[in-house]
Amino acid sequence: MTRLLIPRRKALLGAAGLAAAPLAAPFVARAADPIRIGVLLAKTGQIAAQTEYLANGTFLAMEQRNNTVMGQPAELVWLDEPTPQAATQNMQKLVQENKAVAILGGSLSSNALAEEATAAQLKIPFVCDNAAATEISGKNCNRYTFRLNTPVAVQQRMLAPYALKYGKKWYHITASYAFGQDILRSSRALLKAAGGTEVGSDEVPLNTADFSSFILKIRQAQPDVVVGGLSAGDLSTFLKQWNELGMKGKIPFVEIAIGDTDIWAVGPDAATGTFTKLWDHTNPDNPPEEKAFAAAYLKKYAKPAADKAWMGWITARSLFESIDAANSTDPMAIVEGLEAWKVQSGATSYNYRKFDHQMLLRNLAVTVKPKITDKWDYFDVAATLPADPADLDKVFGTQEEIGCKMG
Amino acid sequence: MLEILLSQVVSGLVLGGLYVLIAIGLSIIFGLLGIVNFAHGTFFTLGAYFALTLYQYFGWPAVVLAPVLVGAVGMVAERLLIRRLYDKEPLISLIVTFALALLIEASVRLIYGGIGQPFSPPPLLAGFLIWGPILITKYRFSVLLTTAALLLLLWLFLEKTPFGRILRAGSRDPEMVGLLGINLPRVLTWVFGLGCAISGIAGVLAAPLWTITPAMATNAIMPAFVVVAIGGLGSFAGAVIAGLMVGVVIALTIQFYPSASGAVMYVFMALMLLLRPRGLLGERWERFE
Repeated sequence: MTRLLIPRRKALLGAAGLAAAPLAAPFVARAADPIRIGVLLAKTGQIAAQTEYLANGTFLAMEQRNNTVMGQPAELVWLDEPTPQAATQNMQKLVQENKAVAILGGSLSSNALAEEATAAQLKIPFVCDNAAATEISGKNCNRYTFRLNTPVAVQQRMLAPYALKYGKKWYHITASYAFGQDILRSSRALLKAAGGTEVGSDEVPLNTADFSSFILKIRQAQPDVVVGGLSAGDLSTFLKQWNELGMKGKIPFVEIAIGDTDIWAVGPDAATGTFTKLWDHTNPDNPPEEKAFAAAYLKKYAKPAADKAWMGWITARSLFESIDAANSTDPMAIVEGLEAWKVQSGATSYNYRKFDHQMLLRNLAVTVKPKITDKWDYFDVAATLPADPADLDKVFGTQEEIGCKMG
Repeated sequence: MLEILLSQVVSGLVLGGLYVLIAIGLSIIFGLLGIVNFAHGTFFTLGAYFALTLYQYFGWPAVVLAPVLVGAVGMVAERLLIRRLYDKEPLISLIVTFALALLIEASVRLIYGGIGQPFSPPPLLAGFLIWGPILITKYRFSVLLTTAALLLLLWLFLEKTPFGRILRAGSRDPEMVGLLGINLPRVLTWVFGLGCAISGIAGVLAAPLWTITPAMATNAIMPAFVVVAIGGLGSFAGAVIAGLMVGVVIALTIQFYPSASGAVMYVFMALMLLLRPRGLLGERWERFE
């Protein structure tokens, strides 16, 4: 056998280089001149559990139209968004190489903030389907960006009464990136306004695997309630370990914007808390079109539609219908189509507000069921917020409060 | 304050124990085969998924088979892929094992889907142990004990058995071992399988604590590289000491400066390598210099 000669430094340098490399190669669909719409969603990482459903919903929306837009063949081209920098590079690739006429995506706030700036630069319509950072449709807004998810500050206002119900001594545990920092800022302001006290606060790095040391700190601080700001897989791990360390049922936990996939990963024994979310597949008040979507999803994927699947579906639907209405792939015509798009079905209505391109829709306040018997059904819907749909505009804030200036 | 600090140290030791198990497998494979195995974290993932599947179909006792299955997958990978890399540039082994990691992760995603899988500790190990100021769950305590027992067995295996002596000799002078009539390629297959199985054990132990997802290797592989670098490449004792130190340093950082808890192990590694470039207990091996 040949004697092995391994330069150690070279090997370690190579290892470090590979660790920093993006983890997935792009998939590029090709056909003969169809209308192409780009999809920018993470394919790996802690958010991938959510993006799988976002993508499923998006592709189902296209299938339901027989893969046509404006009566012409259309296709979705899905590229990865492993980091904000790589996401913007992939957005450029979608526009310049794949000739995409609009982009759907933005799974993480940090990515979406970078993507919306690139959308403005490239003058391409970008409809953000998941990220919730307030700035996206706030001070960073632009004419080409539209956003589905309710901004953090608004969701936090909706959740605050549920946290205050438990008391005014709060402990914050939030992710140390845009989404978590936004939650922390908003929650602190609400707590101060309510005359409460923050008894502790921890900012947690993304992809934290062990929360036991954080939980020990919370246990010692004895808050009335823990206000979370963790995302996706990190939230699942936290709740799992929260139960393992005996905290479930002792100190209540609340957080905005939970995804079904987050709670499904926790399991029935450990799941706990009160949350906000946009949609629930078991909600009897869902309009007929959404019940049909849920049935189609179940038929195609043999499992219920998570809220993220609906988010992918409704966002894609808004874009496809807006292109149809514009009857043009000109970017500004699509933007104007999105600005005019509206769905009204009974008490349910969706539309993008003209001055900030934020979708106005009611949120759900949900609590984990005391006993979970169906592995896909963890929540009781406690309320639809705001209670009166006429208050939607007020709840989402005025132009002055939002700080969006499109120019 | 002392109460919380002691509890944090114990918590850090449990985390460090898992890091040690992942790093030991990596260190053995690097030390004996000369391969920087970038797919090592995915064998940790496989351990967690095999444990989950065995539990779902056959109950808790069957979970002990999970590391055996991981080891078997590792041996197949060695026979088909890894052994072709022994006399190649290190960069090639990095790229090939990186590709293997992607393949395994994608396969797991295809079979189980991308969403996290719920998995809780066995009911037998539910509850707490409280010793004075220290609080630890029974499951975490059992993880600590299992890790200690495994490390002892592994050390005895490598130091006191004829097979262990062949391994150590093969890592220093493979040609001489071959001349003595020992089938070294077969031994190397077993070594790779052993390293993967140890990583699989870490995956089994972590499954009830972490969220089981196809990407869970991300949380395992980087700490493992850090532990191996701090402990000294190929050093068993170095990896044990470094792993426990990293766990405790992370836990104490969470207590005092939580937002730095993700970066602290890299700072610790940089400081350690500045002071002692070979790592804590790294030897000067001519083949690595």
